[in-house]
Amino acid sequence: MTILARLERWKEQGAISAEQHAHLAGLSRGEPFSIFLELNVLLYAGVVAFVAGLGWTVSTWSRQLGDIVVLTVLSSMLAGSSWYCFSRTPAWSPAETPAPSPIFDYVLYLGSLVWCVELAYLENRFHVLSGQWDLYLLVSAGLFFFLAYRFDNRFVLSLALSSLAGWFGLTISHWPSHQDAEYRQYALLYCLLVGVGGALLQRCNLKPHFFGTYLNIVANVLFWAVLSGVFDRQAYGLWILALLIACGASLAWGLSRRQFVFIAYAAVYGYVGISWMLIRGVTDETFILSYFVITAITMLVALVQVARRFGRPE
Amino acid sequence: MRLYSASSEETLRARQLLTDWAGEGFLTKEQHQRLDQETVSDLRTTNIFLRLVLFLFTLISVCAAAPLFFKLFLSRPSEQTSGVFLVIFAALCYAAAEAAVSQARLYRYGIEEALAVCSVGFLCAGMQAALFSGSPFSPKPDTAQYMVPAAGAVFSLWIWRRFGFSYAFLAAMIFVIFLPGYWTSSHSAQHVIVAVFYAAGLVGVAAARSRHRFDYLDEAYSLVEALLWLGIYLAMNLKLSSLDLPIQWWSGTRAASDFARPFYWGTWVLIWCLPPIVLWRGIRQKDRFVIAVGAFVAVLTFVSNKPYLGWVRHTWDPMILGILLTSVAVFLRRWLARGPGGIRHGFIAARLSGKDKHWINAGSAVFGLLTPQSITPAPQTGGKDFRFGGGASGGGGASGDF
Repeated sequence: MTILARLERWKEQGAISAEQHAHLAGLSRGEPFSIFLELNVLLYAGVVAFVAGLGWTVSTWSRQLGDIVVLTVLSSMLAGSSWYCFSRTPAWSPAETPAPSPIFDYVLYLGSLVWCVELAYLENRFHVLSGQWDLYLLVSAGLFFFLAYRFDNRFVLSLALSSLAGWFGLTISHWPSHQDAEYRQYALLYCLLVGVGGALLQRCNLKPHFFGTYLNIVANVLFWAVLSGVFDRQAYGLWILALLIACGASLAWGLSRRQFVFIAYAAVYGYVGISWMLIRGVTDETFILSYFVITAITMLVALVQVARRFGRPE
Repeated sequence: MRLYSASSEETLRARQLLTDWAGEGFLTKEQHQRLDQETVSDLRTTNIFLRLVLFLFTLISVCAAAPLFFKLFLSRPSEQTSGVFLVIFAALCYAAAEAAVSQARLYRYGIEEALAVCSVGFLCAGMQAALFSGSPFSPKPDTAQYMVPAAGAVFSLWIWRRFGFSYAFLAAMIFVIFLPGYWTSSHSAQHVIVAVFYAAGLVGVAAARSRHRFDYLDEAYSLVEALLWLGIYLAMNLKLSSLDLPIQWWSGTRAASDFARPFYWGTWVLIWCLPPIVLWRGIRQKDRFVIAVGAFVAVLTFVSNKPYLGWVRHTWDPMILGILLTSVAVFLRRWLARGPGGIRHGFIAARLSGKDKHWINAGSAVFGLLTPQSITPAPQTGGKDFRFGGGASGGGGASGDF
C-alpha cells in the first residue's frame, strides 16, 4: 500500500483531518516541491568559491594592485558583512534562533572568511606581529566564538573551534623541540578546554544546541590523541588505559543519550588501539588473521546486541 | 526478483515520513503515536552509525577469513586453485547475504551489505585468478579479460536489483568504465562506448521508473538516474575523464592530440548541452537527485570550459563562479517568494522537511571545520626574504608566492 493510499485510509478512519490529508498527500507527491536544501548548498558553494578566488587573487596580484587597494577592498567587504549582520539581527536570545534572512548565515560566514584572508595579508605584508601566527589564530578564535554565539551560527562555531585548535598546534611548533608527546598533551588540553567550556555553556543554557558540535570535535581529537599515544613505541601503557576509559565514557554517553555516533567512535577507535597493542611485533600471519576474524565477529555480535536493544533508525 | 516485499518497504517509508511530518508539526503527537502503530514493519533496521560500524566489522572478518582459509588449508596453491576458491567464497558470501535478509530480515543493516560487497570483490578476483592468471599487468591484455569487469558489472546490477543497494549500481557503472579498454585502443571510442552503456541504462531506468512515480522505488530510481546522467557527462567531458587532467589544467594546454578534432569539439558542444537537459528533466520530474546532478554538471561545465578551449585560467575565475552561484540562489529564492503562497510552478523555497534542517546543521558543522584549511591562505613562518605577491601576468599567478 503506497503512502497516498495510506493517507486516504487514515482520512476515512478519522485519524487525520481532510486538511491534513490534502497537505500531506501534496507533500508526498512533491507538491509543492521544496528546494530549500539546494538553495543553501548553492549559497555555501558560492561563498566558498568566492573566497577561494579572493585569496588566490590577493596572493597573486598584490604587488600590482598595491596594499591600499587590497586592504580597502577586503576591509570594505568585511565592513559590509558586519553591517549587514548587525543591522538585521534580532535581539539576542540564549535559545536557538532562526536566521533573520535566508542569506544571513552565509553573509556572516563570508565576513569571517574575509577576515581570515585580510589577517593573512596583513601579517605577510607588514609582519605586524613578527610571524606570531598563533596570536592571530587566538584572536580569530575569540572573535568567531563571539560571532557564533551572537548570531547563532554553526559555520562560525566550527571556524572558532578549528582556529583554537590551530592556535594550540602553532604554539607548539614555535617551541625548539616540539615532540609528538607535546602535541598529545596539548590536544588533551584542547579537549579539556573545549569540552568543559561546551558543557558549562550548555549548563548555563547558552545556545545548548551547540553542545553536539563541541562533543563530536572533542571526541575525535581526544581519540586521535590517545591513539597516537598507543602507537608510540615507548610508554604506551598509560595511553591504553586512557583509551579504555575514553571508549567506556563514549559508549556510556552514546547508550544513555541514544547518540549512536559515540558508540561508533568507541567501537572503531577502541578496536584500532587495542588491535595495534595486541598484534604489534607479531609476525605470525595465521595468528594475525585469526585475531581479525575472531575479534571482528565478537565485535559484530556485541554491536548487533546493542543495535537490537538500543539502535532505532534515525 | 527483489528480496524485500513491496509492502514491507512501503511500510518502512510510511514510518519515516510520519516521523518527519510529526517533527515538522504536520501531525500531532497523539496522531503520530497512533499511526506509528499501523506502520510496524517486519524488517530489522538500525541507525546510520551502527550500520556503518557493522559494515566495517563484517568486512574485516570476511576479508581476514579468506586468506586465513588459504593459510590453513592450502599450502602454496596455484593461481587457478586460488581463483576457484575465491569464486566459492563469493558464492558463500552471497548466500550469507541472502540468508541475512530472508532469515534475520536485515534491512540496510550493514552486515548483509558488506557480505554482498565482498561477494562482488571475491567473484572478480576469483575470475581473474582462475581464468587469466599471470596476465593482469601485461601491456597487451587478453581481450577475453573483459569478462572480469563484465561479470562484476552484471553481478553488481543483480545485487542492486535484489537488495536495492544504490552503491551497487554505482559499482556496476565503475566496472563498465574498464570494459572498452579490452575492445579498442581508440580513446574516443572508449569514451563513446562508456557513454552508450550509460545512455542505454538511462533509457531502461526512465522506462521502469514511470511505473513507480509515487511509491517506495521512486527515490531509488531517482538516484540511479542521477548517477547515469552524471556518468554520461563525465564520459563526455574529456577534461574531467582524462588521466593527465592535472597537467592539462595547470598548463592550460589542450590535449586534443588523443582525440580527433570533430570528436573533441563534439564533446565540448555536448558538455554545454547536457546540463540544461538534465536540469530540465529534473525540474519537470521534480526529482531532487537529478536536479542536483544538473546543477553540479553545469558548474563542472563552467569550470572545464577554459581548459577545453585552451584559454588561460585567471585567479578571479572562482570569484566570478561564486558570484554567479550566489546570485542564482538569491534570484531563485526571491522569485519563488513573490509567487502566491511562496509557490511558483509547484516549487517553494521554504523548508518543508526536518531532514533538510538536519542535513544543513550537520553539513555546517563539518564544512565549517574543513573550509578554512582548504581555501584560506596557509600561515607562513618562513624567512625574512619572504614576499607577498608577484604573480606574472599570463601565468595564472603560478609564479607568485604568498
